[in-house]
Amino acid sequence: MDNNWELVIGLEVHAQLKTESKLFSSSPNQFGSDPNSNVNFIDAGMPGMLPVMNFGCIEKAIKTGFALNFQINPYSVFERKNYFYADLPQGYQISQFEFPILSEGHIEIENDNVLKKIRIERAHLEQDAGKSIHDIDPKYSFIDLNRVGTPLLEIVSYPDFNSADEVINYITSLRQILMYIDVCDGNMQEGSLRVDVNLSVKKPNEELGTRCEIKNMNSFKFIRQAIDYESKRQIEVLESGGKIEQNTLLFDTSTGETRPMRSKEFAHDYRYFPDPDLLPVNLTEDQIEKVRPTIGELPQQKLNKYINDFNLEKDVAKIIISEKSYAYFFENLISSKSIKPKLAASWLVGDIFSFIKEKNIQIHDIDDRSNKIIQLLEMIESGTISNKVAKDILVEVLQNNKEPDQLVKELGLEQVSDNDELEKIVDDALKDEEDNIMKFQSGSDRVLGYFVGKCLKATKGKGNPKVINELLLKKLNK
Amino acid sequence: MTTIKEIKDQLSNKKISVQELYDDYYNKAKKSELNSFNQLLEPEYNKQNIINSQSRYDEEKDLPLDGIPLGIKDLFCTKGIPTTASSKILEKFIPEYESRVTQNLLNDGSIFLGKNNCDEFAMGSSNETSFYGPVINPWKNKNQINDHLVPGGSSGGSASAVAEKICVASIGTDTGGSIRQPASLCGVVGLKPTFGSCSRWGVVAFASSLDQAGPITNTVEDAAYLLNSVSSYDPNDSTSSNHKRDNFLEGICKNFDRPITIGIPSDYLKDVSSEIIEQIENTKKHLTNLNINFIDVEFTTTNFALSTYYIIAPAEASSNLARYDGIRYGYRGKGDSLEEIYVNSRSEGFGEEVIRRILIGTYVLSAGYYDAYYRKAQRVRRLIKDDFQRILKDVDFILTPTTPNEAFKIGEKLDPIAMYMNDIFTVPTSLAGLPAISLPSGLSKNNLPLGIQLIGNYFQEKNLLQMASLLEKEFGFNG
Amino acid sequence: MSDINIKKVSYLAKLALNDDKAALYEKSLSEIIEWVDNLKKIDTEGVKPLHNITEKNQNIRNDEVLKNNSTEEILSNAPEKAQNFFRVPKVVE
Repeated sequence: MDNNWELVIGLEVHAQLKTESKLFSSSPNQFGSDPNSNVNFIDAGMPGMLPVMNFGCIEKAIKTGFALNFQINPYSVFERKNYFYADLPQGYQISQFEFPILSEGHIEIENDNVLKKIRIERAHLEQDAGKSIHDIDPKYSFIDLNRVGTPLLEIVSYPDFNSADEVINYITSLRQILMYIDVCDGNMQEGSLRVDVNLSVKKPNEELGTRCEIKNMNSFKFIRQAIDYESKRQIEVLESGGKIEQNTLLFDTSTGETRPMRSKEFAHDYRYFPDPDLLPVNLTEDQIEKVRPTIGELPQQKLNKYINDFNLEKDVAKIIISEKSYAYFFENLISSKSIKPKLAASWLVGDIFSFIKEKNIQIHDIDDRSNKIIQLLEMIESGTISNKVAKDILVEVLQNNKEPDQLVKELGLEQVSDNDELEKIVDDALKDEEDNIMKFQSGSDRVLGYFVGKCLKATKGKGNPKVINELLLKKLNK
Repeated sequence: MTTIKEIKDQLSNKKISVQELYDDYYNKAKKSELNSFNQLLEPEYNKQNIINSQSRYDEEKDLPLDGIPLGIKDLFCTKGIPTTASSKILEKFIPEYESRVTQNLLNDGSIFLGKNNCDEFAMGSSNETSFYGPVINPWKNKNQINDHLVPGGSSGGSASAVAEKICVASIGTDTGGSIRQPASLCGVVGLKPTFGSCSRWGVVAFASSLDQAGPITNTVEDAAYLLNSVSSYDPNDSTSSNHKRDNFLEGICKNFDRPITIGIPSDYLKDVSSEIIEQIENTKKHLTNLNINFIDVEFTTTNFALSTYYIIAPAEASSNLARYDGIRYGYRGKGDSLEEIYVNSRSEGFGEEVIRRILIGTYVLSAGYYDAYYRKAQRVRRLIKDDFQRILKDVDFILTPTTPNEAFKIGEKLDPIAMYMNDIFTVPTSLAGLPAISLPSGLSKNNLPLGIQLIGNYFQEKNLLQMASLLEKEFGFNG
Repeated sequence: MSDINIKKVSYLAKLALNDDKAALYEKSLSEIIEWVDNLKKIDTEGVKPLHNITEKNQNIRNDEVLKNNSTEEILSNAPEKAQNFFRVPKVVE
């Protein structure tokens, strides 16, 4: 950073849990429904309504505890956070304050090949609020309570971040892990993952500065912009002799600037107290341990396996593990052990990913093609078809769901590897080519490529390039 | 013919029809000038219920409370029927759901006459804070015969209606004494069950860790009838208890087959009037007649119970009442901004006592005061609970007066603290979550009813009702 | 004696008190707080706060959708609504 300023950032990540029903009511936990259609009387804060805890949320929290190296607290207490807002029907949010379900976790992030440990102070369960729509009418705002009571896991880090890159890395890794363990669907556009960024600046060896909180960010691009803007703003204020006022800020995506939320004097006295409608959670060791085997392999474990056991290149492995659906697809391809992982990987991150990107579809949209892709890869591996032919067939498989071996038979695309047959082709190719032969023999390797191309053309692409190469070399070096 | 058993016999023996019974009570209720109902249901509303009930009697398949006309405190959400909590802020609120307790009563065939008046949001001890005006006690001070007296509160409407006999019984709620105290002032029976015995689902919440529904009736046996109906496990209420319920009628008027000891706390009797002492002494005589032992016991925490209660209850209330904001239901004040709507709806919709308690509650939870007040009160609450447990190790029941005074004049007690002192004997049991029953034990010099309170151990309602029924017979109190 | 900031307390509780009312309530509150202050006299060293009289553990519900209420039921008591939303004066954040 400029002028020796250090950036200190802490993050509060709110992850919506992937459960069927809400945290304290049994209405559907669903996005995108018609307004006020996923609401029951409890969500709406009607008189006399009472909360009952959804154990599925506890299980998701425990899972997260295992995956993020947390201490899982058997005893935790739900407390009321009291404040008024149009999207908060009860006039309080049920959260956890003094006794959260998870404490002291950590993950490692990688920046420029350097690993850094990010400590996570706590994670707790709480209700999400509804949605207010402010911008469709000049005089009114409109309230939709569908989201009220959706379970959130709030994950609070220590202020261990010193750059926007680290922040982005952390959120990426966190999101990836949460998706892997099926705790959150990671859909940031739909608000499944929202981040509050706490940012302050200081000079080295100085005390921490006053921080500001930028609320409710759900896009990597805007998080970066916001950090950029806010850090510059704070530095400007301090360099001109001013003081930073502790504020809650919103990032205006149209102007690229942060601005304070309308805050009032006494706004932050939430008067937390244990919710008298609920009893403390007391988990048994059994209940906690039962969750452990449901986690499955975490991204880091898969990465290590792919690199060490499957011999994949680090970059390739990283691409495959970047989404759980990719990893599953990949592991499915190699499950019958008839194909080398390296081969499957290169085709996956190459042609297959290009295809889905181009068609703007998801990997699971071609799940039903998996078996055919395996068939195709087996044929490549056994040398039955050449790479070039394979590329063309792959398109047919992906686009039109054709059977590879049928296509190969129908179109007679088997790779020609027979020595005798190819020798004839090679001899033909070398006829009347005394000039080029001489070029090769005086050191021009490019000529070899020309001859290989000539042979491939003669075989209509079916010739085995390796065998052709060998035969050419044999004859040219005579 | 006023007890449930008597009425059911008459119905079964065709001495009276369900319709006739209903009409009788409805007409009496309509004529009453004591303001004990916020709303009397039109007979049209109950027409089908009455027909169904009569069919069941005709087929001899009648349900436990079939055809019995009841009052329901206007704190219970009754589907399709306005539920106001006696507050302006819920004046036009019509719930789309039925509370667990009233659903149980409907399932047992009872007929709802209407919604009983009460203190606003159950906050009060005299039924003077209701938006619908004060309730009047049917009893009169013989030396001030023209004065209107309070029925007690917060279930003042329920107690008055039962005492006036314009309904057979009523279901009220008790948070710090709101069933027992009005029962005592009106000369009827009032039972607060163990916390967790009755579901709070659909009951407008005042203080969640204290609220309990319970019967207000003319006799102990009637209370047992009602408790059989309303006490049930409800998975929709996380504080509901799933213990096995007894048949509460089983012990009525039966002698105990083992020695019983009753504890009488001397610290409760320290500063009370001679009349109250007389009630206790009189009760002791009756206990002797029944061959029941009594001993002196002493609490160490009695002096701290009211303070504890008046920190915890308002704190919980301040949070429970935050949902009344004019946005989704209820009274909406005018405003050009959200803040104005909140502030105007609440300031105009809530009455003075409710506002006072919300302010207290907000204060004791606020930053800097939470530890000294709320947290401290929660610790003292544990000491109070332990104190009761210590004493209940040696005795089966505890006997105390229900209230420190007889019914007083409407408008007489204006000072909040003087009003809070009405709960001095009932609040400790509420904090401990124990079951307690008040039954009329005699009359004061002014010819006003006085009540005694019996406290039992957790979920011992059957024994409690049994003990109360024996004393009731001894007292021979005739309302 | 009274360090009760009635303005702060009423703001937090979303209640509007004119000056007269504020003074009345402040007096009332002071008296009540002084009255409940007698708790200072009882020793609670080492005593755990009692949150729930039942002292049981939270009962649980399986993760399934059971109770949804129709939009009509949810909006039936709304003082102001529009097209299945609750309607309030415009909020500026």
